[in-house]
Amino acid sequence: MELAIEGGEFGEFGDMDFYISSSSNSTTAITTPTSMEDEIQCEWNNWAPVIDWQLLSDDNNFFMESMMDEGFEEGVQVHESPNSITTTATATPTTTSSTSDMIEEETSDEDSKGLRLVHLLIAAAEALTGANKCQDLARVILVRLKELVSPTVGSNMERLAAYFADALEGVLEGTGAHAKHPGANHQYSDNHRHHHQSDVLAAFQLLQDMSPYVKFGHFTANQAILEAVAQDRRVHIVDYDIMEGIQWASLMQALVSRKEGLPAPHLRITALTRGGGSGGGRRSIGTVQETGRRLVAFAASIGQPFSFHQCRLDPEENFRPSSLKMVKGEALIVNCMLHLPHFSYRSPDSVASFLSGAAGLGPRLITLVEEEAEAASTGFVGRFVDSLHHYSALYDSLEAGFPMQGRARALVEKVFLGPRIAGSVARSYRAPEGEECSWGNWLAGEGFRPVGFSFFNHCQAKLLLGLFNDGYRVEEVASNKIVLGWKSRSLLSASVWTSSAPSLSQSSARDSGL
Amino acid sequence: MPIQEEPEPAPPTSDHILDWLEDSISFPFLNDPYTAAADDDGINSYNQWWDLQDDEDNLINASSINSSPTALPNPSPPQPESSRKRKPPNNATAKKQSSGKTNGSHSSGGGGGSKDARWAEQLLNPCASAIGAGNLSRVRHLLYVLHELASLSGDANHRLAAHGLRALTNHLSSSGSVSVPGVSIGRPPTFATTEPRLFQNSLIKFHEISPWFSFPNSLANASILQTLTILDPSHQHSSRRRQRNLHIVDIGVSHGIQWPTLLESLANRPGGPPPLVRLTVVAAAGTPASFSSGPPGDDYPSRLLRFAQRNNLNLQIDRVESHPLQTLTAEALGVASRGEGEGEETLIICAQFRLHQLPHEDPDDRTEFLRRMRDLGPDLMVLTENDGDCSCSCCCGDFALGFPRRVEFAWKLLDSTSAAFKGRECEERRVIEGEAATALSSAAEMNEGKAGWCERMRGLGFIGEGFEEEAVEGGRTLLRKYDGNWEMRAEEKGRQGCISLCWKGKPVSFCSLWKLPTQ
Repeated sequence: MELAIEGGEFGEFGDMDFYISSSSNSTTAITTPTSMEDEIQCEWNNWAPVIDWQLLSDDNNFFMESMMDEGFEEGVQVHESPNSITTTATATPTTTSSTSDMIEEETSDEDSKGLRLVHLLIAAAEALTGANKCQDLARVILVRLKELVSPTVGSNMERLAAYFADALEGVLEGTGAHAKHPGANHQYSDNHRHHHQSDVLAAFQLLQDMSPYVKFGHFTANQAILEAVAQDRRVHIVDYDIMEGIQWASLMQALVSRKEGLPAPHLRITALTRGGGSGGGRRSIGTVQETGRRLVAFAASIGQPFSFHQCRLDPEENFRPSSLKMVKGEALIVNCMLHLPHFSYRSPDSVASFLSGAAGLGPRLITLVEEEAEAASTGFVGRFVDSLHHYSALYDSLEAGFPMQGRARALVEKVFLGPRIAGSVARSYRAPEGEECSWGNWLAGEGFRPVGFSFFNHCQAKLLLGLFNDGYRVEEVASNKIVLGWKSRSLLSASVWTSSAPSLSQSSARDSGL
Repeated sequence: MPIQEEPEPAPPTSDHILDWLEDSISFPFLNDPYTAAADDDGINSYNQWWDLQDDEDNLINASSINSSPTALPNPSPPQPESSRKRKPPNNATAKKQSSGKTNGSHSSGGGGGSKDARWAEQLLNPCASAIGAGNLSRVRHLLYVLHELASLSGDANHRLAAHGLRALTNHLSSSGSVSVPGVSIGRPPTFATTEPRLFQNSLIKFHEISPWFSFPNSLANASILQTLTILDPSHQHSSRRRQRNLHIVDIGVSHGIQWPTLLESLANRPGGPPPLVRLTVVAAAGTPASFSSGPPGDDYPSRLLRFAQRNNLNLQIDRVESHPLQTLTAEALGVASRGEGEGEETLIICAQFRLHQLPHEDPDDRTEFLRRMRDLGPDLMVLTENDGDCSCSCCCGDFALGFPRRVEFAWKLLDSTSAAFKGRECEERRVIEGEAATALSSAAEMNEGKAGWCERMRGLGFIGEGFEEEAVEGGRTLLRKYDGNWEMRAEEKGRQGCISLCWKGKPVSFCSLWKLPTQ
């Protein structure tokens, strides 16, 4: 089954190697910014239709591969254009290493502008809270920041500062009004709504190619699932937030090529959809249906027995276990992917209702992927600085891997990261002290028992990172939890749990680990 | 070194700036019916004097800029409607009528400062605290932010940030504790570094649009006249004795601007002017307080003398140079010991905005100075000072405690100046604000609250003297021509106590009158 993953998913990384080495040779061209922008725009448009979902699902074949391969070739062309290379070449070498360390290394003069921006951002956050709360000061600082930066131009730190400044401005303008509406979270619940669908897909594709963040979660969870259901004939996965369903394509490929010669088990996936009659709920259902169609088609194309279901969350986005159709003899897997860079926000209440509700169903395995936050940071300013660290590491990692793809990164930033920053800052401002907690800790507190990662799973994560830039690292912080980080910063963690009733899953996981 | 009145006009070599000033000074009074000014409390003519001077300024700049290479481009449009309303140009006969009109035309809240946002101090004061606490990373953080927001041409907050940042970095570099981000803001001008003509224009402009100095000057002048009226025997028995000379010891910051109005009023008194008016100017020495040092070339005594000559006033000006206040003697001031009968003069000590530079503890030069003044036996002592807490770092607390007090002072000035200039930028504004900003770092800024000063005076045997109703009314009238956020507060009713000048409800300065008990 490892082979299946490597063949299916890792194949394209050879292209990436090629890309990296070819692009690094040609960093000398100089053009004016306007013509550069035009040309990129032009080539960009050529590229975009290739990753149209419609086209993919019509094709009915090779779920991700076709998209990735073709997209990548086009991508190489774009990035080999001498004009596009100059877009980011100026900002690349010095800022990459310095931005995420900026806050610690205050004495560094290397990127003094980045330093100034960090100081201004923190000061604005301070002015919005604390003993010396002074909205006038915050306003003045934000005005100054906007003079200095734009979300689409400049170094990592400059673009990042622009998004954070926007986020703080949202807090400043919304102060008072939002506090009265507990449901104001919904404002941030559907970040992608105002972006064009093709932009969202292109950005997602780029994110997936440029960083290990998406694959790390999917591979790690899938490997744990494969190990847990190695002997099963029927597998039922309840997925909290299925998104585009890409995680399950690779799982299916692994299942159909099980080494032991066992036939592929029947796989049933139940995707949760958002409740409520709101546009968000309807869109969620539509998106999930679309994902289901794609998965069904893909399963058929590789001979994987498969069925797809949906289960609605109630209007408060709480999970009701009774609404889930259960079948005797199925190995139940609960999959909970949270906070991946491209995911939209889900309220803690909703997540908690899902996890605790699912626990009552006695799942074989719970796979959890979530964002890592510094436990020590307290208060709005502390959380704000933490968030700044987090996203600056994210920006750096994207830039380090793809220094020449400034425009591509800008799209990822615009579609995913900017809205996430806005939502994260706004929630952090309104959140009562200590609300932020790790769901892994919550699961432990609820009596879930850790399931150890197999040696193989750990190695696979390392292998994945090896395909990307040097700065990534993976660390086993507990027997059932591994963390993906960029340099010194922890970004995402994957952990595996089971419900308190002892089951076979642990022993089987150990077996395949050996 | 007495400067005797020169009978001759200015030497032909003297530059045209002086000529211009001379003309502008003499101009209004040539056509002025003296009788009209006689019962004047001095305030109206005072305003007129400045207004006309300013009008001349505009006139010259507008019409003869080519022939006047040193004339500065006038940054503000020729006087806006407000001043035109106040006085018909070149028509001195309309004077009283027009000054009366100002009473009604005063609007409240018409300041340039749109809102009361005070954000600069939210960075400056925490920075001072962090310096006090030795928290260098916090200091650096705040300096970075200040650096981004500081501007000498923005609104009052941006300016305060700029001046405050300069003061903080000065403090830090003098203590050598941290390297700080470079201050790229140009060094703001101060009085001492300003070309004399611009200096003079700045002061005139400032007096015209802000009561910061003009209000206490007006109160002082009115009280000096009042004292003469009471003391002068000629008032009651004009034929019996000849009038006494008047001797004013000027320890102030007006650089001569206070006196033309008084001189004019003296010249027009019903009983005639005093036979001799002596003005003994004690120039700034040591570490001077803000506003007290002018540029080297500023020769206002000559102008005052010419002005007196035109008004048929016998004026003598002496300058006491480089003499520390606390060691002033009767000889240095040219004060004859009292009780010598015939040559006796009316002695008035006018101390305005200068005494707070004196150490008040260890050594208590402040009391020492006041004792020396008392021993001169003045007929009146005028004491005007900033009303605030001391920001010295020796005995009144540390830097972290004192700096916010300096910031408070600077804020009142910058905020009120912003309103006065209606947010417009000009050279004159830069000079005034630059000079005021020296108070943010000068060691000479050792303010004291009004109560503290009064206690000192009483402790030395001085007796507080109330302001005459006429002086109070004059001050009130004067204040109406300025921004509506200014107000005056009389401490108590009647003839008791000080008069405070307040900006947005907070005291800026106080004026007080003191006499010695008659034996």
